[in-house]
Amino acid sequence: MPPAQPDNAEHAAELLAKVASEQSRAAFSELFRYFAPRLQAYATRQFGNEQTAMDLVQETMSNVWHKAHLFKPDRGSAATWIFTIARNIRFDFLRKNKYRQYDLSADDLWPVLAETNDSLDDDYALDDDLLMQQLSVFCEQLPAAQRTVIELIYIEGKSQQEVADALQIPLGTVKSRTRLALQKLKELIKHDD
Amino acid sequence: MIKFHPSEQHLVLYTAGELSPAMLMMVGTHVDMCSHCQAHVRDIEQQLARKLLGDVEPQPLARNAALDEQAMLQAIFNSQPTPQTAAVAANDSLYLEGNHFKLPATLARNSHRIGDWSRLPGKLWRAPVTVGGEEMLNFIYMAENASLPEHTHKGNEATLVVNGVFNDENNEYRDGDFVLLDNHHKHSPATQNEDCLTLAALEGPLHFTSGLSRLLNPFSSLFFK
Ligand SMILES: [Zn+2]
Repeated sequence: MPPAQPDNAEHAAELLAKVASEQSRAAFSELFRYFAPRLQAYATRQFGNEQTAMDLVQETMSNVWHKAHLFKPDRGSAATWIFTIARNIRFDFLRKNKYRQYDLSADDLWPVLAETNDSLDDDYALDDDLLMQQLSVFCEQLPAAQRTVIELIYIEGKSQQEVADALQIPLGTVKSRTRLALQKLKELIKHDD
Repeated sequence: MIKFHPSEQHLVLYTAGELSPAMLMMVGTHVDMCSHCQAHVRDIEQQLARKLLGDVEPQPLARNAALDEQAMLQAIFNSQPTPQTAAVAANDSLYLEGNHFKLPATLARNSHRIGDWSRLPGKLWRAPVTVGGEEMLNFIYMAENASLPEHTHKGNEATLVVNGVFNDENNEYRDGDFVLLDNHHKHSPATQNEDCLTLAALEGPLHFTSGLSRLLNPFSSLFFK
């Protein structure tokens, strides 16, 4: 039995999950050794310029390293996700060559790396107006750590990843604090009725 | 139910990022509105990924390269995440003539590119969408009982119904329908008792062919200001 390779879709998805949850350098290195040469071959064919090709490889794989938490296994394979990142970077590289102010950007066409705040969907989303009116009052009753996260997300409009970076805490912690805080706020609002 | 879709080739070129800016917007907006084409695009992404990043053994990275693997890995581990570049917030509301339209996601993310509306003869309004590239991208709004003089095009014309319904000699087009006409087609789009907001990409100036409207040829410059 040969060892599992990242071209095995399940294995690649597991590696990405490890990069997302524990910033595993070993998992990332395995992905890198598989995908980087293939990206380089693709980019060299596209650009015909080795340095630009290397830049595309580095920028693509940097995004894989930093944004692995945005990979959604139910939407497609790891290879597909990495391809869409490389496609966007290539598009913006080509655009920058003849940069004009009004030109489209890849992120506006294909928001592959948009932070979606998905833990705020449905169950945890609160009506905006309600939030704005009541948050400030109820927030004071939250533990300080939860209050900080809520204020950064809802008042300063930061993404969860940006909050994690700003507070230097793992993204998972931001998510769980947000979830707990919103549950608490819902209870407070309900009991206030 | 959407009846008219972009061709498979359009979807492949869209997914690869190889259409003109105007057509990327057109196809992207159709895909926003069409679950069928969304599924198709996901398939195409998978096929392209397999083709480009599949199990064919590539040349080792270090072979002709300016950087070796270890150096690049270290550079990545030491790098900072790039901040979100969403400089302009998406805006999915468009107001015109007292009507409110909800824009599909691609247009909402690019709403800052939508220019001012100007009124054209014949109950028509137009707003340019500035996306760069050679082709013109415009919103065309037709009020109820409006019509565009019969015309052909020097190049291709793609029209996408964002909201409402219009018809020409051949068909009726509704929300999400994507129509591509080459320079052999003559057509005269019109609305009946419903208005219609469309997005139109034109490769070349409109060329009016029918009777009096031939005199209106300067009218075509309104689309190309
Ligand atoms: Zn479709």
